[in-house]
Amino acid sequence: MSHFSPTAAVNYFFNYFLMKGVLVTIGLTVAAVIGGLILGMGIALMRMSSSPVLSGASRFYIWFFRGTPLLIQLVVIYSGLPQLGIKFSVITCALVGLILNEAAYLAEIVRSGFMAVSAGQREAAWALSLSPWTTFRRVTLPQAFRLMIPPLGNSINSLLKATSLASVISVEELMRRSDMLMQEHFQILEVYAAATAYYLILTSVWDAVQRRLEKHFGRSSAAKSRRVAARAPVAQASVEARA
Amino acid sequence: MSEISMNTAMESGVEGAAAQPQLRGVHAVRMEAVYKHYGDFTALNEVDLKVAKGEKIVICGPSGSGKSTLIRCINHIEKHDEGLIYVNGTELDRQRTNIDAVRRDTGMVFQSFNLFPHMTTLENCILAPMTVNGMAKAEAKELAMHFLTKVRIPDQAEKFPGQLSGGQQQRVAIARALCMRPKIMLFDEPTSALDPEMVKEVLETMKKLAEEGMTMLCVTHEMGFAREVADRIVFMNEGKVVEQAVPEEFFSHPKSERARAFLDQIIH
Ligand SMILES: Nc1ncnc2c1ncn2[C@@H]1O[C@H](COP(=O)(O)OP(=O)(O)OP(=O)(O)O)[C@@H](O)[C@H]1O
Ligand SMILES: [Mg+2]
Repeated sequence: MSHFSPTAAVNYFFNYFLMKGVLVTIGLTVAAVIGGLILGMGIALMRMSSSPVLSGASRFYIWFFRGTPLLIQLVVIYSGLPQLGIKFSVITCALVGLILNEAAYLAEIVRSGFMAVSAGQREAAWALSLSPWTTFRRVTLPQAFRLMIPPLGNSINSLLKATSLASVISVEELMRRSDMLMQEHFQILEVYAAATAYYLILTSVWDAVQRRLEKHFGRSSAAKSRRVAARAPVAQASVEARA
Repeated sequence: MSEISMNTAMESGVEGAAAQPQLRGVHAVRMEAVYKHYGDFTALNEVDLKVAKGEKIVICGPSGSGKSTLIRCINHIEKHDEGLIYVNGTELDRQRTNIDAVRRDTGMVFQSFNLFPHMTTLENCILAPMTVNGMAKAEAKELAMHFLTKVRIPDQAEKFPGQLSGGQQQRVAIARALCMRPKIMLFDEPTSALDPEMVKEVLETMKKLAEEGMTMLCVTHEMGFAREVADRIVFMNEGKVVEQAVPEEFFSHPKSERARAFLDQIIH
């Protein structure tokens, strides 16, 4: 066992048990993105509202979830809440933790996207008698969304990797199943080489999707949107690595 | 309602025996003792202004004198704090239905165009007719092409704003506003963001509109345009309407010291 066995690594890569872990990782990510976007949109709207209670609550939420490690959040939900009589299944715990955490990041991305759409756009919509809903759906949202794609993509990339933290509360995703294989066979490098390959594939696929999206939504009036983006940069800083 | 009859009774003499007897006296815009504050700052200070239907007003004055604020209060993009504003007899009193009615009667053109960058020229023009007036797409397109032809850019219909010159963008913005068939057009320095060679094409478009009898309120420093088109110049300073006169009189005999200084400065 004093050498690295490429064959073993390849075998782990095609290991059915590990592949199922990959599916769990993908599932966690997708569910957390969808849940996080819905919740994050709500939190962003609260944050932008004129009510001090709503915007204060939203600020507190963002401050809390961005200011504490995801690992602690997961452990508290999984092992801490039962102490108060609240008990979820493992997978629910992981999803709740990931969604709550992701929502805090996405809320800031959504908000900065909307802030970057110039006030003149809304004023033009009002001057044309557009209803608030039409203004939102046809004027502000599409422009904000285009500005959100790059930071959104980065956040999803880091979420994909952050799902590995769910292994700590025994969710059998890619990381956890790699650990299990490793403990069974002690081929540390070989097992983690396979896991690493999977993570790289997943993040690369997502990168490609993100580039596609950017191209698709950036196709119209590229010159103008670049100018808008340059004037009011979406807060890239809101996308930090977590964990 | 009472607004209309009251005006007719009070002002029929002033307006003369023009056509439209039942509407005579209802001003396109009437502002009475309007105030607008930003914190401690008074942006509009007891502004009174009456604009008759079909009248062309040019508003000028030094930077920060409240020209934009005034024009933006008329379609409630800014909310005035005190005083009365009537647009075609509808009072802007914060009732949603009244605000909507006023916005339907007015079109606005901005210094920075404010076209929707993610939509083509045509999409910019048909959005409001379709979503606000419930017009069918084919009909809305026809309407849009009519006005795009009028501002002489029908060939740019499928382009995005980012692909157009400033002058073209501003003409699209005018066409977009006209598609809602406004009775009053508000212009806030429509040529100030344009390169000199494009100013003319936009002014020509505005002149054409004026000739067709549109009621226009126009903030501009284009004094040539003011001389040629305006029925009246409204000069503002420090949130007040300081002086109002026909162009001839305003340019040759400005009454206030402030207006004289202003004219010296812009005419050199
Ligand atoms: N949203 C705002 N908050 C605070 N102050 C404002 C706001 N909008 C305008 N002001 C102030 O009100 C005053 C009048 O502004 P306004 O834009 O109406 O001037 P203007 O005559 O259009 O000037 P310009 O020729 O520079 O466009 C200015 O001093 C400006 O600083
Ligand atoms: Mg102004």
